Amino acid sequence: MSLDLSLTGRSVLLTGIAHDAGATIHALLRDGAHVTVTAPADPADLPTSVRDLAERGLIELRAEPEPTAYDVVIRAARATVPAEGSGAGEVILVGGGPSDAGLITIQGLEALQRADVVVHDRLAPLAALAHAPEGAEIIDVGKIPRGEFTPQERINAILVEQAQRGRTVVRLKGGDNFVFGRGGEEAQACRTAGIPVTVVPGITSSVAAPALAGIPVTHRDLVQGFSVVSGHVPPGDPRSTLDWGALARSGTTLVILMGVATLPAVATELIAQGLAADTPAAVVADAGMASMRTVRAPLDAIAETAAREGIGAPAVVVIGAVAALDVLA
Amino acid sequence: MKSALPLVLDLTGRLVVAVGGGPVSARRVRAFVDEGAAVRVISPWVCEDLRDLVLEGAVEWQARDYVDATDLDGAWLVHTAVGESGVDRQVARDAESLRVWCVDATDAATTAASVPARADVTIPDGRVTISTYAAGDPGLATSLRDGVADAATRGDLDLRRTRHRTTSGWVALVGGGPGVDGLLTARGHQLLRSADVVVVDRLAPRAIVDRLPASVRVIDVGKTPGHHAVPQWRINEILVEEASRGLGVVRLKGGDPYVLGRGGEERLACEAAGLSVEVVPGVTSAVSVPAAAGIPVTHRGVARGFTVVTGHEAIPGLPTGSDHTLVLLMGVSQLSETMTTLVAQGRSADCPVAVVERGFAPTQRTTVGTVSTIGALARERGVESPAVIVVGDVVRLGPEWSEAVAGGVS
Repeated sequence: MSLDLSLTGRSVLLTGIAHDAGATIHALLRDGAHVTVTAPADPADLPTSVRDLAERGLIELRAEPEPTAYDVVIRAARATVPAEGSGAGEVILVGGGPSDAGLITIQGLEALQRADVVVHDRLAPLAALAHAPEGAEIIDVGKIPRGEFTPQERINAILVEQAQRGRTVVRLKGGDNFVFGRGGEEAQACRTAGIPVTVVPGITSSVAAPALAGIPVTHRDLVQGFSVVSGHVPPGDPRSTLDWGALARSGTTLVILMGVATLPAVATELIAQGLAADTPAAVVADAGMASMRTVRAPLDAIAETAAREGIGAPAVVVIGAVAALDVLA
Repeated sequence: MKSALPLVLDLTGRLVVAVGGGPVSARRVRAFVDEGAAVRVISPWVCEDLRDLVLEGAVEWQARDYVDATDLDGAWLVHTAVGESGVDRQVARDAESLRVWCVDATDAATTAASVPARADVTIPDGRVTISTYAAGDPGLATSLRDGVADAATRGDLDLRRTRHRTTSGWVALVGGGPGVDGLLTARGHQLLRSADVVVVDRLAPRAIVDRLPASVRVIDVGKTPGHHAVPQWRINEILVEEASRGLGVVRLKGGDPYVLGRGGEERLACEAAGLSVEVVPGVTSAVSVPAAAGIPVTHRGVARGFTVVTGHEAIPGLPTGSDHTLVLLMGVSQLSETMTTLVAQGRSADCPVAVVERGFAPTQRTTVGTVSTIGALARERGVESPAVIVVGDVVRLGPEWSEAVAGGVS
């Protein structure tokens, strides 16, 4: 989508949800517009990526907005359905990197440009969806933390079904498909069904989110390694299999994905396991977006600081000496 | 219009008279205001957008019909979009008699001046304006404009300045990814096409550098194991020197600048010299090279986390379970010693290990074994750097493991 006008500071209403609503909204937010979306009668009709933006306070949802109250009104076009392909389809797992349209790879862009179907979730760089052909079908299988979700098996099935119809299917994810992206499972499901599958690696948020906040995960004389774990299960939970003690003593930079909700428990556990309470820590939220925010505090205060500053998911937690860098920026 | 000479006008402080109060007028008036023009609108009524501009005090509004040439007094440029052909033609004629250029937005065939389709694109050296004109066909002009804007955004064009900068140069630390052109980011590509100087080492994606115009200066600070390389302090100095001369400098690195890439030091050195630095993350080899060998560094039920360390320094104490993936970069020469350390730390001797050499190259090769066998296997097969070593149960997910098990190697 191209915007001819500067919409900075203007109010924009989106009525109806087109297949590329996510891309439109991201372009508007990047331009500094105040975005309102007309809420559909049935909330289930709202793509989860759009609902997620609303829950994060980045856009407003309104049941019956008055169009004349807005500077600009964008009416959605009806979604189109691509033609059935002939011959064998394929699946391309594309790591989209953080939500910055410039940080998708050239190969990823090229895959999007020839996609018949794009299957994405809420953390994918939605602005990149604009590169999909006009007639491509866009399927949002987004998951919301602790909310309703599309089971992974269903996503695998969608990829296989779409490819079996002869289509080129791009599975677009935020970050890298193989860093807590369940790309391995998707690739296996496709191979089992005899569908050719290609993997286009992406920029993992575990490295890029800190980098965009000015924090290198390794830095000469400070630290020569980093560990990446998922924080969605807190320490002490029967489902937790992470060796927090070893991580606390490893001396590597710790990067925790999906760890905002469990940050209080994780920080307490790391300190109990011997990591110094004054170890620098940072939380980077909305990395790569116009709304990106970073908070920093010593480990024993980071959870409270992040909560006070209203930092929510998606966010990346960094713990280690490097989290104090970027003093010059 | 028989002739179509494009011009760039500096409207700062100059009077533009716009006749008509509708949306077309509003759009153009907004553009004139953005260019710093003094704008007078003549129309008995104005649409909402124009009214906003009037309320902001950005334009002067005379709420009446157009009368005659005296309404155009002092104008450098006239714009008419009334929508009543009699009035628009009269404005155009009056402007003609005063020898003032007039855009008649209602008649592409006869207008003396036209506003082209336009896009402002931000490239590494700042804002550039792209405008296109297609003999009065606005749709085609828009399509051409979008094509050029896209190409500029993606770095498909040479984006270097050909005149000296009036401001100082810049430095960008660009992660080049694992060595394949296509795994460079769109932003990285755009920066490369804007750079006067590109500083590379041996792990940077070279094919893309080789295709740059010959006039781009490429400085190789490459480090080949066992050979002399430019020391880090000197690399920092080169970046600062070149940018201080007013040049755009890309430091292109393999993988990601911040994953054992010393990007932090380079950035601090440039910032200390007062230079602005952009850091563009890259696809790190630590994750992508195992992926190229079919090995995901995390996998549900198999690995809950991973650690990346350099293999040529002391291995820190890490989770020892084979469900915690360990990725070693630069670790080929000390492979056996590292495996001994891992066992001493408590990792099982049966834990699977893969060594992936020359990731993504046509000669990519994966050697699999276990913590206890990989050292000997690697020696037998003559494994050499660059290679990425993966330790953990995820190695079982790659095709080489199944083949090795089938062949009874491990």
